[in-house]
Amino acid sequence: MALIATYAGKKRTVQLGIALALVAWVALDATGGGGEGWARVWARLPILLTGNGSGWPLSGGFALNVFLSLCAMAMAALLGTALGFGMLAKNRLVRVPCFFVMNFLRNSPWLVLLFAMLYIIPFNVRLFGVSIAIPAFAKAVIGLALPTAANFAEIIRGAVQSIHSGQWEAARALGYMPMAIYGRIILPQALRRMIPGWMNLYALLMIATSLATVTGIQDVITTLNTLLAMENERVIVYFYITALFLFFAFCYPLALLARRMEQSVKGDSL
Amino acid sequence: MNRTDALIELDQVTKSFGAFQVLKGISLAVKDGEAVCIIGPSGSGKSTILRCINGLIPINSGSIRVGTHEVHKMKTEKEMRPLRHQVSMVFQQYNLFPHRTALQNVMMAPVQVLGHDRREVEARARRLLAKVRLSEKADAYPGQLSGGQQQRVAIARALAMEPQVILFDEVTAALDPETVKEVLTAIRELVDEGLTCILVTHEMKFAREVADRVCFTDHGRIVESGPPAQIFDAPQDPRTREFLGQVL
Repeated sequence: MALIATYAGKKRTVQLGIALALVAWVALDATGGGGEGWARVWARLPILLTGNGSGWPLSGGFALNVFLSLCAMAMAALLGTALGFGMLAKNRLVRVPCFFVMNFLRNSPWLVLLFAMLYIIPFNVRLFGVSIAIPAFAKAVIGLALPTAANFAEIIRGAVQSIHSGQWEAARALGYMPMAIYGRIILPQALRRMIPGWMNLYALLMIATSLATVTGIQDVITTLNTLLAMENERVIVYFYITALFLFFAFCYPLALLARRMEQSVKGDSL
Repeated sequence: MNRTDALIELDQVTKSFGAFQVLKGISLAVKDGEAVCIIGPSGSGKSTILRCINGLIPINSGSIRVGTHEVHKMKTEKEMRPLRHQVSMVFQQYNLFPHRTALQNVMMAPVQVLGHDRREVEARARRLLAKVRLSEKADAYPGQLSGGQQQRVAIARALAMEPQVILFDEVTAALDPETVKEVLTAIRELVDEGLTCILVTHEMKFAREVADRVCFTDHGRIVESGPPAQIFDAPQDPRTREFLGQVL
């Protein structure tokens, strides 16, 4: 107990130290002309956040990254659930292809997948004689959803297989059918173990949305690059630090929450 | 014993896991209301026999009959459902469902599998929890219970299916010595009430007290079987003598 307390204490001291050092650095830098840089960032902050100089309506910027991550996560959840259960299927004809797809997607660089989608998916689709344009945003969603889905599926498979085999045996001995065993006994327990993994995955996906700038959507990185073209070279670093902080501020609380949930799940018995 | 009036009948049952033959021709008949203890060294196939009786493990050859069910002919879980209703099982590792309370664990299968009326099942579940002396723990989750308490909930869960037979698979092996007694007391009551029980156990003293018949297994065969007095006091087979010499 004493050891844990000192560990937590040490951790807090280190965190406090880092925060103080950051504040000190900003203050010191501000006396040497840094204040001007921050003033430029402050003036451009609405456009970075919303893609719109006046801050409303939302048309891009960091808000678009958030929206993109939510769309990609929703799509990944659908695809990943199908893929995850495919990998748990008894039938080899279902299981083996699912494993192949999952491994392929999970081991491809996200940026390469994004580029691939950009060129594989056509600009226009002709459906029943009607030409439908596919926006870059849709390609970004698909490109990011594919690797996320593969990881999503792995989290499902891992959690389901981590449930002790005795649970299956006991449920079968009580006369439950396989589907009912999944629905009433395995999944309720496995879900608790999946949620922290999914939250970590979502935080990763949010960070990866910065890659979507290659599709040309007006996300925070594209907006930043456009802005920087008009800025003095000396203030560029302040803009990048701001972008970094935006992602950090969004993802860190998620990671903290996920870790806390992991801790609470850890004690689950057999 | 006349074989036809046996409730459970195994005839020349064999089972292999890969190249390893666990059961090399097991024949056993259990009458209604009889308590049979299976003893023997680890790896001799004791637990496998139990899992074959309720169809958890399919057998390679031979036949198994429980009541009117021909277990060796059943292929799907659905076909086995009536069998699972008739034969309950209690496990070494308890295998309670950790996301449900003790009461819910006992109620789940009768309501969800057998489709019994919920209120009737709840009354039955509370009665069974009282029987295993755990009334006050009805709303506790398995994680909050001691090993002995969990095992007694598992016994109540098995009884809630209103089975004709209960299989006990080394139910005290994971418990500490003090809690073993409370579980054995619960089992002894069931045997005294005339429930058909097959027990795999390492508790020789208990086996001697409750069993109508004791079977000694070694290397996938039933080497010797008979009344406890005969097996424990005058074992015929040298392997039985050797085993008992080690454990007693």
